Amino acid sequence: MSILNVNGLKKVYSTRLGGNKVEALRNVTFSVEEGEYVAIMGESGSGKTTLLNILAALDRPTGGCVILDGKDLVTLKDSAIAAFRRDNLGFVFQDFNLLDTFTLEDNIYLPLVLAGTHHKEMKRRLDNIAKKLGIAELLKKYPYEVSGGQKQRAAVARALITGPRLILADEPTGALDSKSTDEMLRLFADINRGGQTILMVTHSIKAASRAGRVLFLGDGEVFHTLYRGNDTDEQMYQKISDTLTLISTGGDIK
Amino acid sequence: MNASLFPKLAVGGIKKNKRIYFPYMLTCIGMVMMYYIIGYLQNSKALENIPGASAIVSTMSFGCWVVAIFSCIFLFYTNSFLMRRRKKEFGLYNILGMGKRHIVRILVWESIITAIFSLVIGLLCGVGMSKLAELILINLMDGEITYSFDISLGSVFLTTSVFGSIFILIFLNSLRQIKFSSAVALLKSENTGEKPPKGNFILGFLGLGVLAAAYYIAITVADPVDAMGWFFIAVIMVIIGTYLIMIAGSVLFCRMLQKKKNYYYKPNHFVSVSSMVYRMKRNGAGLASICILATMVLVLVSTTTSLYFGVEDALNLRCPNDINVTLRSNNFEGENEKIISELRDKIISVADARSCKRTDIVDYRGVAAYSTIEGSNVKFTGVRDENNSSSVSLIYFVPIEDYNQTMGASESLSEEEVMLYAHGKKYSKETITFDGKKTFRVKKLADNFTKSGDLAVSVVPTLYVIVPNLDSSLDGIIKDGETYDGGIASNYWVYGFNSADCSEDEQLEIRDGILPFLRDLLDSDDDPGNGILSARIESKAAERQSFYSLYGTIFFLGIILSIVFIIAAVLIIYYKQISEGYEDASRFEIMQKVGMTKREIKRSINSQLLTVFFLPLMFAGVHLSFAFPLIRKILLLMNLQNVKLFAITTAVSFAVFALFYTVIYRMTSNAYYKIVSGATDRK
Repeated sequence: MSILNVNGLKKVYSTRLGGNKVEALRNVTFSVEEGEYVAIMGESGSGKTTLLNILAALDRPTGGCVILDGKDLVTLKDSAIAAFRRDNLGFVFQDFNLLDTFTLEDNIYLPLVLAGTHHKEMKRRLDNIAKKLGIAELLKKYPYEVSGGQKQRAAVARALITGPRLILADEPTGALDSKSTDEMLRLFADINRGGQTILMVTHSIKAASRAGRVLFLGDGEVFHTLYRGNDTDEQMYQKISDTLTLISTGGDIK
Repeated sequence: MNASLFPKLAVGGIKKNKRIYFPYMLTCIGMVMMYYIIGYLQNSKALENIPGASAIVSTMSFGCWVVAIFSCIFLFYTNSFLMRRRKKEFGLYNILGMGKRHIVRILVWESIITAIFSLVIGLLCGVGMSKLAELILINLMDGEITYSFDISLGSVFLTTSVFGSIFILIFLNSLRQIKFSSAVALLKSENTGEKPPKGNFILGFLGLGVLAAAYYIAITVADPVDAMGWFFIAVIMVIIGTYLIMIAGSVLFCRMLQKKKNYYYKPNHFVSVSSMVYRMKRNGAGLASICILATMVLVLVSTTTSLYFGVEDALNLRCPNDINVTLRSNNFEGENEKIISELRDKIISVADARSCKRTDIVDYRGVAAYSTIEGSNVKFTGVRDENNSSSVSLIYFVPIEDYNQTMGASESLSEEEVMLYAHGKKYSKETITFDGKKTFRVKKLADNFTKSGDLAVSVVPTLYVIVPNLDSSLDGIIKDGETYDGGIASNYWVYGFNSADCSEDEQLEIRDGILPFLRDLLDSDDDPGNGILSARIESKAAERQSFYSLYGTIFFLGIILSIVFIIAAVLIIYYKQISEGYEDASRFEIMQKVGMTKREIKRSINSQLLTVFFLPLMFAGVHLSFAFPLIRKILLLMNLQNVKLFAITTAVSFAVFALFYTVIYRMTSNAYYKIVSGATDRK
């Protein structure tokens, strides 16, 4: 059963005086099945961020529809969007977006507190996740006291704690060193094996090679899709790499 | 590099940061204006003709000092906000290849522009407003209004040099900051991450202790003379205590809230408590400053207003009679008795010559000596012991015939009897003994005795002893101005009356008519039998003028200083909101991404602003109520006994200030919302 359906998505930015129009997304159509791990790849300016913002209901499309878990995000009322986002989506950002006023623990609790969860229930949920993510010892620390990889793990914990239908990850390894990147990607794979649906936007081949399916975004369209099948990570890496080479040398993919 | 580039960059920098620069310049202008006005009034020719002008000069020069020192501290403080924002820009210039030397040139231009702009506009406003201020002051002082307009060059010069020096100092300070930081440090200075403070128990409790001690002093000081000294100690302690509590105590408090999970993990409290604890350390100082300024304004306004509006009360207290003559001599016998009756006749003839009806005539002799009362024994101390003023009483012996005459009564006393009238301290024994030598039975306690101005302002309790006969009753106790053991006792003759149907001018004429007789008495060296020690005349009309000019000046200065402090408080609040807005903008953006609705954000902002904003006001209110008893005692020294008036003015000042504060809150929180929502709206 598909958890996310994106159909004919279009987004046009116009300059303030309505003069020039820029088409960020022309016609994006794809769907994500429950339990899938999908990576979206694309160059800078390919519309990745715009797509992600629309999926996160932070921005509204000019046309088309986004159906998440049977609900059309486009027609959802403003007042309902925040709650919907909180209950159904988990976010992991490139720059972590942890609040420096909170300890890691409180940062992770934030969405639950907003949802009005009792603190005992929050603690119970966190205990599970923290062990899995290896941050149990760091919970009382502040973001500025821990490393980038640790920050990102806290951010993943924050995304997971609400038990979201879908995790949206925006370049989650973009600000990490290679060791932390490997750890983080292993973590994502583990989470996915546990049944969590993940949609990741990246331009790192390494990151994308761990996904079950890779969508290539360019000029406002999904113009190519790669399936893992029974490939290993290394084979997947090679396939993505070949595809990208083809694109940049101007070859036609079919 | 093109020389005209630097002024251009400077102007551009000011324009770009107008949200921060504009209020800063406005403050500079305000301070310059106030300083000029106070300086102008100090030299004002129109005020020279008003009696008591010397009081104006000294009060205003005090005001000048206060404004100058305060401006210096305060402009430094606000300039640090400016620099924090500007550093990033300078860092960028630095990285783009501009040397420090060039940045300094921009800074020089900026300082020159700011200084000239503030001085010129400030002085113009000052000149424009000075006449108005003068008229208000003259009106307050009940003086003659003149309509000449002039500019005090002395004040212009003084203002320019004082504020010029302040601007130079500020410039040097900015220079120091630019010189000693690297380009990268400059670039990042605005968002230097700050460690969340650990609650400091020692400082927090120290603050609490200091504040409690200050409150204790304020409540328990009994003696008005002591109150003055204690007041300043208490003020210093309150300031220290407030800063400690706001900086350390509030963090402690928030930390305690965070420990209470049921409270902390609620959508409303979660965000606001944690960001409060995060910013309290830095902004605690700002809050404490606002609180102190608010308290100063409230104290200034309430005291000076009640002094001014209580001026008639004070006058009536100080001068119960329109005309009052007091003669002090070493005895009332022989020659002196003759002098008194002659003087009485002269006074009556002077008054009657102006067809003024003399009413409420007071005419009595009395012998006064300082003493301590232990049980029913009165022990004469000879002099007033300043160190021990709370246990000293003034004893006033008055013969029964004078009492009856003055009060229109017909009391009689036997040889062994006295009547008592106690002022300030009750006497409830059945008998009274003087120096352990002579004992009288207390026949009754009189309900009233004539009010004397000396008595009213005296903070020492006074006991009037109405004796059957001054000579025989005091025999063995007091003789010829000396108590038995050689202490000083004074013989007084008091003659006073009201002349309600006389104009003030006529009353002044009466005073001037009587004055030469008194001079004659004191100057008559050729008269060997003259034992007159002093002779004084008080005219209510004359006193009224000096009262109004003194209290009017104090009131005026109180208002001016309050305005200065209010400007400062408003600016601190504004900068606080603005700088917090920039800090919080990114934070709320993240929260929105994580799933906080706009409404939740707004609510959390509100609860945070409200707490942080009204904390200083609340503290100021508490400070004020604890200061009340202490200030009341100080006002006693300044002839204000009307507690009700003081209580009402205090309450009204607080209410008006709270209202004003709320308006400021509304206005500045709008600026905050704009900044924060500017970030969250950007999708």
